[in-house]
Amino acid sequence: MIDSLFVLNTTRKIIIEKHWRGLINRQVVDYFNDQVSRQSSPEDLPPVISTPKYQLVHIYRSSLTFLSPVSSEVDILLVIEFLHRIVDILAEYFGEVSETSIRDNFDVVYQLLEEMMDYGYPLTTEPNALKEMIVLPNIINKVISQVAGVTSVTHHIPNGSTISSIPWRKSGVKYTNNEIYFDIIEEIDAIVDSNGAIVSSETHGIIQANCRLSGMPDLTLNFVNPRVLDDCSFHPCVRYNKFETERVLSFVPPDGPFKLMSYRVNLPHHQSLPVYVKPQIHIGNNGGKFDISINIRNTEGKPIENGLLIFPLAKSVSNVNATCNLGSYIFDPVTKSIRWDLGKIEPKDKVPLLSGNFSSSEQTPESGHTITLDFSINMYAISGLRVDSLKIFNESYKPYKGVRSLTKAGKFQIRT
Amino acid sequence: MSDYLSKAAAFAQNAAKLSKKVSEGIVENAREFGLEATSSGHYFDTSEEKMRDIKRQLDSRHDREKMDGLKRLIANVASQNLEIRKLVYIYLLRYAEQEPDLALLSINTFQKDLTDQNQLIRAMALRVMSGIRVPVISPIVLLAIKKCVTDLSAYVRKIAAHAIPKCYSLDPTQKDALVDIITTLLKDNSSFTIGSVIMAFNEVCPHRFDLIHPHFRKLCRMLIDADEWGQIAIMGLLLRYARTQFLNPNPNGPRASKKKKSKAFYSDDENSDKTDDSLENSFILDPDHELLLRSCLPLLQSRNSAVVLSVAKIFYHLAPIEEAYKLSKPLVRLLHSHREIQYVVLANIATMATQRPYLFEPHLQQFFVRSTDSVFIRNLKLEIMTLIATENNITILLRELQEYVKSPNKEFATSAIQAIGRCAIGMPDMAESCLNGLMKLLWSKNDAVVAESVVVIKRLLQLRPQDNADLIIQLTKALDQITVPMARASIFWLVGQYAQNLEKIAPDVLRNSAKRFINEDDIVKLQIINLGAKLYSLNPTNQVLNLLFQYVLNLARYDLNYDIRDRARLLRGLILINEQKEITSENEEIENAQSSDSVKSSVLKENLKQILLCEKEAPSEESPSAGRDRFTIGSMALVLNHSIPGYEPLPDWPTEKPDVSARNNLDETYSRSQAVKGFGSDSFGGYAPPSIYDKPLITNKRKEVYDLDHFYDSENSSDDNIHETSENEDEEDEEDEDEEISEEEDDDENESSEEEEESSEEETSEEETSEEEEGDDDDEQELLLEETRGKGKVREAPKSR
Repeated sequence: MIDSLFVLNTTRKIIIEKHWRGLINRQVVDYFNDQVSRQSSPEDLPPVISTPKYQLVHIYRSSLTFLSPVSSEVDILLVIEFLHRIVDILAEYFGEVSETSIRDNFDVVYQLLEEMMDYGYPLTTEPNALKEMIVLPNIINKVISQVAGVTSVTHHIPNGSTISSIPWRKSGVKYTNNEIYFDIIEEIDAIVDSNGAIVSSETHGIIQANCRLSGMPDLTLNFVNPRVLDDCSFHPCVRYNKFETERVLSFVPPDGPFKLMSYRVNLPHHQSLPVYVKPQIHIGNNGGKFDISINIRNTEGKPIENGLLIFPLAKSVSNVNATCNLGSYIFDPVTKSIRWDLGKIEPKDKVPLLSGNFSSSEQTPESGHTITLDFSINMYAISGLRVDSLKIFNESYKPYKGVRSLTKAGKFQIRT
Repeated sequence: MSDYLSKAAAFAQNAAKLSKKVSEGIVENAREFGLEATSSGHYFDTSEEKMRDIKRQLDSRHDREKMDGLKRLIANVASQNLEIRKLVYIYLLRYAEQEPDLALLSINTFQKDLTDQNQLIRAMALRVMSGIRVPVISPIVLLAIKKCVTDLSAYVRKIAAHAIPKCYSLDPTQKDALVDIITTLLKDNSSFTIGSVIMAFNEVCPHRFDLIHPHFRKLCRMLIDADEWGQIAIMGLLLRYARTQFLNPNPNGPRASKKKKSKAFYSDDENSDKTDDSLENSFILDPDHELLLRSCLPLLQSRNSAVVLSVAKIFYHLAPIEEAYKLSKPLVRLLHSHREIQYVVLANIATMATQRPYLFEPHLQQFFVRSTDSVFIRNLKLEIMTLIATENNITILLRELQEYVKSPNKEFATSAIQAIGRCAIGMPDMAESCLNGLMKLLWSKNDAVVAESVVVIKRLLQLRPQDNADLIIQLTKALDQITVPMARASIFWLVGQYAQNLEKIAPDVLRNSAKRFINEDDIVKLQIINLGAKLYSLNPTNQVLNLLFQYVLNLARYDLNYDIRDRARLLRGLILINEQKEITSENEEIENAQSSDSVKSSVLKENLKQILLCEKEAPSEESPSAGRDRFTIGSMALVLNHSIPGYEPLPDWPTEKPDVSARNNLDETYSRSQAVKGFGSDSFGGYAPPSIYDKPLITNKRKEVYDLDHFYDSENSSDDNIHETSENEDEEDEEDEDEEISEEEDDDENESSEEEEESSEEETSEEETSEEEEGDDDDEQELLLEETRGKGKVREAPKSR
């Protein structure tokens, strides 16, 4: 089981240290740092490394390292998943996970760690249940400001009877405005050949909900076209069998933001991508020419937003001269890559084009780098998934409901 | 005593610091919010005053007052702010080991707290008390656990289960008592506690399967209701249990059947299906075995990757071979997750693919490497791709691998070439196209690529010594461009080894190499000498060859490197002796002088060809994760590829069917008559009395339609024999169910007209038929009392009927 947790900052100093099964010497961290420094980047160190006494499991997120020494056999994914869960919870409590946010709220962090794990076994990991026991730091502030002037502190102490019977939902939730929002977010992972052929393309979607409903609502969410959903995974609140038989989502939602489900989109094998990038690169003597154009297809007339193209060049490249007819570009001499900030592209605009040449200190600069493109399309789901209706049972109010869709690039890569 | 006092003082000081910090924090926060002292003065003054009071008490010389202060700190402050209380607990747990005596002082408070009204306080008291790692208190902890096991609150019982392993590690001699407690807890029907109970079981007495027998079916049913972490523990236990209690469903070994059956495993015509099939499917699963697999199946949809992998583990190790394919898609889905999770999943997929490559063959494209993948992920993906290569996908795969070869990252390019080599070795039919692909790489501008591909080609050609002449000729043509020593050395070796097939080319290669001999790298020089020796041994009468070889040997004789000089001397010895003998025989001068030396030399000569040209075995290409399949899927040992403490290999299947009667001794109470207090059924705690955990739910007549058990029962009749005792009830249930369905349909009809209007694309603030909702309200409220999560099992208590 999980013995301890160390949180290390960017310089790999310990900022949080928690032991669930007796003390573990801090030397394990030195050993770990030794291993990290042998890698070119901290991301290249395998997540599990073996030392004579402990197996060190770590995750690297938000430039913090969460390191867990484990002394005996355990389901490895349990440890990793739990570490990620800790980061998720911290993010939910503090908004962002960073060294400062952790240092500022270290007492809350320790309380959370205490509550989430008991003697190396995960205990309470549902955000709603945790919030019932450990109050959000900003809420404390609010309470104090509200109570100021009142004779006694009416701080909420959960008493036995209000502890919620479903772990993911707080009891006694009350809102004056009942509202629930669903965001359908789809991410396209694609690898495209230099000649435009799709090597592999896959779309993953999640439905992110933000629930601000009073009481214990029981919701049923219907889709117009559930057939596009393939291989789903659900928040524990969703009733599996109802989905299996009727393809509707039936659930008692947690309070606040949560990920309702994630799915893979069942697209026809080579459905066209919303964006095509055509790179043309000629390597010449001591340099080369390039021409990159972007074509928009298949977005139902919606504009592409936040377009950003990263085009890495050989390490020997010293200078780049280029022009673009949309947005602006920067050549970063450290990473040797061109960063083309496209901003918003309307489908009716003329084709965005970046062309230019580069010079290199090498006779034939190496080629074969991969271009990555980042973008998002608002109010558009590439799968065409649409919510049909949301029914609410068990509560009599009429909530405000909203659905938004967003398609964005996941790992969208173009080979040159 | 003084020592004790000083310790006490240190503890008190720390506690005081803590309290000060907290109080300061509150004041600071208040200031941040711009609260004027006038408005908040009253509240904060009292607060600080109180803190100061406690501080004074903590600083006091008298134990009594100190205890009082501590108690006030814990008890008095806690009544206002649970946070401070928790901080004190955290402090206690952290330092209890260093300050055992002091920690003991707090025991009394905890014991008192164990009787608190509030279940959270009871639970917390037990948690902290059991967490104090001082062996002396183990009997007290044991008593506390015993008390809490029968607590009305499921939360407290869960905490009690968590306390068991702590108590065990504190004092292993208590094992028997703890096992008794686990036995009691196993009877608990709350899905809230069950996961923790199994965790305790796995740690304290993992092999007491006799305790599991009566609860096996219950565990299977409750699995879906348990919390995520509990599910992992339960599946771990069920896997070990099943390996000792059921027969191997694949008596013919895992590779026996490769075809997938699209037919539904659980369909009613299962038996006929089985008999239709040939011998390999003649094995009939034990119904309990089947129940286990069926209960795990929905968990493949869990959001928790560890749960998904646990199900995969069950299916890989326990399921009939045709069933195992169900695990591949969800596993592949996990690849769209954090990179650490990707790594573990890929390592497991690679292991499974060594045994059953067909499982992942349809998902080849998901394993394509992205330029942003970390090194460890890239390597695993390459390995999986080569493992799952078949005749059908090899062209796609090779095209993809050749893309990788273009990568500017040299390490990656070389490992891609090695992957091509592994494909060719794995599939002799495809070796030709792999080789052609590799040959193209010889003209690459990248030295590393050329070198690696020659090395791989050499390995491949060694595997088929018969018809490699053409390719070797092509290689020799490339010699002028190839500069990497390893590659050149490999080519010379190939030419020498297969010189018999290259009568025209080989001497010319030697001639060219002799010209450039002095500029070559050491390993190349060695191979040139070897080449000369081999050619000479094949054709000892050829004068030109002889001279060429002599020339090379002479060059080598004065080389800087002693290895080369040694090699030259050795070969010269071998050859020169023959030389003398040949000269003599040619001149026919001293025919009689067959000295003992020349006898020896003739022996050597006869075997010269064999010495130099014996068949060399091709080095076998081991896949990097070879040996991983020794370990259980999902284990840490598998990822590390070596055994670690606490790892236990899976037990072998029993050869004879173990007794099943133990499981028949059912607690039918669970499956039929008693209300099960899962999350789902508790979800309406707001309506039911607070003590909902402990009372059977008061249910009315209608049944939940999408109850899990029910769902399965109605679909699979083979399950019925388990519940013989409850068949009557089942019938009743079904009637009830019909009623409900019809009612639901009515509802749907009413609503359908409204639904159509609901255009919910964007902001659906639309009217949700208030009249209708109001009309149905009463009905719905009633219905919803039980219409809980699909997971929840609201069961009717027969008495209430």
